[in-house]
Amino acid sequence: MYVKTILLRTKTYNEMTVLTPLVEEIVAESGVRQGMVTVLTKHTTTGVTVNEALECLESDIQNALALFAPEDRPYSHARMLRDYGSTAGNPTGHLKAMLTGNHCHFPVVDGKMIRGGAQDIWFCEFDGPAQRNILVLVEGE
Amino acid sequence: MFIDVHVHPAFFEPINGDGAREQMRHDALDIHKNGVAPLEHIFNQMACAGLDKLCLLPQDYTARLGCAVVENEEIRRLVDLAPERFIGFASVDPMDKDAPDKLEDAFTRLKLRGLKLHPGRQRFRPDDARLEPIYAVCERYDRPVLFHAGLSWEPDTLSEYGRPLLFEPLAESHPRLRFCLGHFGWPWVRETAMLLLKYPNVYADTACLYFDSALEFYTQTFTRDIPVTWIDRSLRHQVMFGSNNPRFEQIRMADAIGRIGLRDSTLSLIRGENAAVFLGGL
Repeated sequence: MYVKTILLRTKTYNEMTVLTPLVEEIVAESGVRQGMVTVLTKHTTTGVTVNEALECLESDIQNALALFAPEDRPYSHARMLRDYGSTAGNPTGHLKAMLTGNHCHFPVVDGKMIRGGAQDIWFCEFDGPAQRNILVLVEGE
Repeated sequence: MFIDVHVHPAFFEPINGDGAREQMRHDALDIHKNGVAPLEHIFNQMACAGLDKLCLLPQDYTARLGCAVVENEEIRRLVDLAPERFIGFASVDPMDKDAPDKLEDAFTRLKLRGLKLHPGRQRFRPDDARLEPIYAVCERYDRPVLFHAGLSWEPDTLSEYGRPLLFEPLAESHPRLRFCLGHFGWPWVRETAMLLLKYPNVYADTACLYFDSALEFYTQTFTRDIPVTWIDRSLRHQVMFGSNNPRFEQIRMADAIGRIGLRDSTLSLIRGENAAVFLGGL
């Protein structure tokens, strides 16, 4: 398996970043001709989702997620965490991440990632700014 | 101008790199799983919070820990990397007989702007006679003191040393010394309010978030435990915004302070104007 980590330093609280070109680059450098690529975020307040890369849709997705997890609700995940020694204040990030999921898969055929014409891979930040790690795993032969 | 007067830079990347020292900081502060933060990330956080400047606070716990968690020299290095954004404080261990000389060096050679002390960790009462030479240096150079007050989450701390009432003899005997009760002296916020009302040289910061979300905790502490009118009408020139980052939620606290019903003019004071006076200018 070929594994590479994408490092992102997000700048705002909620933001979405298209990863498709980076993932296609990693697939190409992996040398894998037939197989599968997985894109997996290592964090619990971020997501990986597949959708069309349009600014209107990006806005609609953000607004829809905010409707599901508005900032000012009385969440339980708002307290001192002994393991961290700091406060938990990011319940909305965890909930939004649950909706988008944390990974996606695409087939690799003849050394290229196969995707639909409107499909792009989005990394979703729900608790930024932060430093984020996204794993790209290319399996096959 | 929006200033966070209470930031601990122990995990800022430029002063890390030595794994053992970084682990010491995690253990000494009981802050974990946060990693180190490049300055670019700190600046992104500041932008999201709307902050213009941070006061960086070191911690010299040599007597009880064997070393400083963050040294004065490290604060100077950080300030030099972003002098337009960072305001550096000094720390000395009051149990060190050379503390007054070290403090004078920090104010003169390192050009640090104030002193941070933690009575609960360094184990002294604010009116301990051993502190007098240290306070004298602060008065001579017109530098303020920011005390930890109230509950401390750090290990090896006793909250009783941070009780606001213990600071009254200092406020009374040193009217020219400006000092701040960090964390608003939580949970003794009424005692803190009493001291601020009586002594104009006493300040408090808002670096407290021990339960609930930032907005919920600020609402409880600054509108119920004490009515919001107490700050808005009477204490508005002595309260400064602080977050205690990285333990607490700087961005959400910066947002919450603007949503508890204070007048805009009071918010301007809390967000920056009071800090400028406390520091003796920006």
